[in-house]
Amino acid sequence: MDPTLLALGALAFAGASATVAGCAEDLESDVGSQSNPNSQVQLGPQMGNIHRYFNKAISGEPVAYGLYVAVAGLIAWALMNTGLNVLLAIVIGAGVAAIVHGAYAVSAYLGRIVGQSKNFGQPVYMDVIMTHIGPIVGHGFIAVFCMLLAAYLAGTALGNPFPLPLIALIFGITVGSIGSSTGDVHYGAEREYQKYPFGGGIPVANQGDIDIKAETGIRNGMDSSYFCSRLGGPLTGLCFGLIVFLDGWRGIIGSILGGDLITKSAIAIVVGIIIVAIAAYINRVIEVYARNKYGPYTNR
Amino acid sequence: MDAVSLILPLAEITVAGAIINASVHFIPVGGAPAAMATSTGVGTGTTQLAAGAGFTGLMAAAVMAAQKGINLMNPAHLAIILLSGAVGSMIMLGLTMLIGQLIYVFGVGVVPAADKCDKDPFTGDYQKSYITPGTTGHAIPTVCFISGLIGAALGGIGGGLAYIAFKQLGFDSGIAGIVAIGFFFMNAVLASYNIGGTIEGFHDPKFKKIPNGIIASFVASLVAGAIITGMSLGI
Repeated sequence: MDPTLLALGALAFAGASATVAGCAEDLESDVGSQSNPNSQVQLGPQMGNIHRYFNKAISGEPVAYGLYVAVAGLIAWALMNTGLNVLLAIVIGAGVAAIVHGAYAVSAYLGRIVGQSKNFGQPVYMDVIMTHIGPIVGHGFIAVFCMLLAAYLAGTALGNPFPLPLIALIFGITVGSIGSSTGDVHYGAEREYQKYPFGGGIPVANQGDIDIKAETGIRNGMDSSYFCSRLGGPLTGLCFGLIVFLDGWRGIIGSILGGDLITKSAIAIVVGIIIVAIAAYINRVIEVYARNKYGPYTNR
Repeated sequence: MDAVSLILPLAEITVAGAIINASVHFIPVGGAPAAMATSTGVGTGTTQLAAGAGFTGLMAAAVMAAQKGINLMNPAHLAIILLSGAVGSMIMLGLTMLIGQLIYVFGVGVVPAADKCDKDPFTGDYQKSYITPGTTGHAIPTVCFISGLIGAALGGIGGGLAYIAFKQLGFDSGIAGIVAIGFFFMNAVLASYNIGGTIEGFHDPKFKKIPNGIIASFVASLVAGAIITGMSLGI
């Protein structure tokens, strides 16, 4: 079969895997309340809001996911070198990473909440641990498995010279940084503060005054995941998938259209610049839309 | 190895560190407050976002460097590797800022507005009246987007240059990659200390501190480069 066609197929598959990985990663961070919005969950009890959110700011998402995916990549890499089936090795690697993730999640919850119990009266809810740990580890497993699959394809079919654990580490750091920059905003700026009217940033004076009531009953992390799965999660997935796909696609376009090495590379670079220019243009269109739609504050 | 084969990579490592440090200052990072739409920029940490973008660029540069026929001592080849890294990094940060913008506008309902300038220098749009009272701006206005793209390009070039230098010292791709990651983090953290929290981009008054960061990274990279060069000689 034509190697370009094979590379394009592998790239499409890697992009699709990355999309699922990004979405699962963001939803996992919403269930477990990781990354920057977790500062508000941490601040809640100090502002008198006793809550039932999970609380597991183990570290920043990029570093945490770098660790999980690198662990999975290392295990899978070692197993592949013993001759184990690739898919099985990836599943086992992701499984070990899920156990590591679960151990960190439980210890982080207990450490964080116990730290607030004495001074601010925040109880340690054992049922919150029991009900949340499954979705946290489950979403984490999906994210790590898909990222590892994309990393494996990058190393074997897309010309990446790095060994699998290193590609996995880089993908983990990248997806964590994307999830933290995109989907978590939906959780931090909207979901945690739904009791305030839609359409504004959260003033410093209101920080920590998080919403503790759900659509029905008391809010927990899974309610947040349900809410964020309508915008934040899918857009995070779309972002990571597009990055993996478009960055590889420009190289394939270059190799199809170009002749020698320099021409191929130059075409790939120009296609990349066009992609960035289109992104900048769309960003401006959204900005103008928001200015016209929402308008300025007139009551200052 | 002759002296030139050692001095050239050492110089490249030193310059790469300074470029990486400079790149971080351009990237609009609002930190934790931006995740609550309380400050302008992308809602994550300085080092984390710069690293995410820089590593995507590093990977793009590494893929280009692994192409058949590439000679790392050929200036033309060196240029396409670095440009490839820059573009890979720009694609990552450009799309991340774009998707973040979508969530700010449609998920949170805020207007992109910068706090550190009255008028956007590119579009001429007034900013202050669109900022939610009690916050220091939100989302990613055009000036921050352009600044971020410049930062991403510099980050990709810096990461790619460091990777090439490690390869020129004779390290295997995997070793060169992991050393480049550590090297990138070192310089991004130095920049992060210099910034001290959040920055909107080149229009932010904090950007004026950039010479301190570049000098710090220059010195740190020179020392790190000397150690790595020694490692390549088996010392």
